[in-house]
Amino acid sequence: MKHNFVDKYSGIDSPVHRIDPRIKLIVSFVCIAVVVSDSRSGFAQFALYFLLTALLTVLSRVPAAHILKRCLIVSPFIFMASLFLPLSHILAGDTVHGPSLGASPKAALMILCKAFLAVILLNLLSSTEKFHRLLSGMRRLKIPSLVGTILALIYRSVFVLIDETQKTTRARQSRTPGTLKMPRMTVYGRQVAIIFLRSWKRSQVIYTSMLSRGFNGEFPCTRELSLSRYDLLSGGIVTMLFLAVRLWSF
Amino acid sequence: MHISDGIIQTPVCLAAHAVCAAAIYISGRNTEQEDIPKMGMTGAALFTASLIHFPFAGTSIHLGLFGLAGIILGRRAFPVIYAALFLQSLIFQHGGLLTLGVNALNMGAGAWGAWLLWRVKRLPESLRAPSAGFLGILIPALLMAFEFNFSGYGKGIFYLLTIYLAVAVIESGITFSAVRFFRKVKADILP
Repeated sequence: MKHNFVDKYSGIDSPVHRIDPRIKLIVSFVCIAVVVSDSRSGFAQFALYFLLTALLTVLSRVPAAHILKRCLIVSPFIFMASLFLPLSHILAGDTVHGPSLGASPKAALMILCKAFLAVILLNLLSSTEKFHRLLSGMRRLKIPSLVGTILALIYRSVFVLIDETQKTTRARQSRTPGTLKMPRMTVYGRQVAIIFLRSWKRSQVIYTSMLSRGFNGEFPCTRELSLSRYDLLSGGIVTMLFLAVRLWSF
Repeated sequence: MHISDGIIQTPVCLAAHAVCAAAIYISGRNTEQEDIPKMGMTGAALFTASLIHFPFAGTSIHLGLFGLAGIILGRRAFPVIYAALFLQSLIFQHGGLLTLGVNALNMGAGAWGAWLLWRVKRLPESLRAPSAGFLGILIPALLMAFEFNFSGYGKGIFYLLTIYLAVAVIESGITFSAVRFFRKVKADILP
């Protein structure tokens, strides 16, 4: 399986790409928190949030089509969550348009806006940085070392296992054509077990090779990251702009 | 089951991150060095096996396998699920950065529920395995419904549980079948 789609646009040279991954991680988290926690703003403020993210996208030179495609992929889940807000009140017999219920169409639209803004910001984060540098950034930000190591291991092996899954799926489909019957559950269960067993077997080989390279519980943290004044300034400006929209009273 | 950013209230998300940090510390304590590759590879297997789609009622559902993760990894399933979700949110934007803690707690609780049930050795394995698979889906679905309700959704959100109930039944069958296969082929994978 080709996995260059993960950080396909990370090689572009742009003002956003040049920012240190640690700053990008922090700024993304803060900006998402600012947008998501904004419950008092109207659509004018949200239009400004969208304008800011659009500006970041243009600056990053990541094709807008790529961002839109990713939004489209997750859109069914977001639309469903948004739709369920009024629906959950209707099913419970509440008044849909009651202002105190927070279940008005406006509230549902706000969920849509917030969720899509968060998806775009997250997408910008993963599209403007090589994944191994993001992992380095996380480790330098002192996320638990166990999580950092597991993340690196999953990232290194997941695409190999996706190949295994595709192979076993093809094998299963050729063995069991036809409509769904209960015994099929056994077939699916066995496929899952085979994937787990193969990963288990690989983990023993991987551990031996990791030991031979001096693994002592966690991967060494490379020194390739260094904070510059540009990183701090650009991170600060983006955060301040999002905060300014949040504090703006129309 | 992956909750996106913008749905759950921010204080809840931040509190979930704090609880997650404690849960990672507790579940990751005394981890042997040689266990780490197993955890990583099981996380990758969990990630990829969840891409398998099971045909159901004219559509298809993807597997969660939190019950199976709980059976195999025990309390160490939590950091593995956390890392897998982190990766899913970064690569596919399934779930969010802010809701990562909430999602990890929901699904990790499912795995821990399955692990606790699996440890009740006086029950036959033919009952423990499907029940673990069942709990692995039902606990996260229940927690998710409560969180949605807390964030302004009506009580009607609990009707969503009926869909997850069907998913949990399918997962229980698949988990049972996988455990039976492990028992035949490589019994030492099961604690």
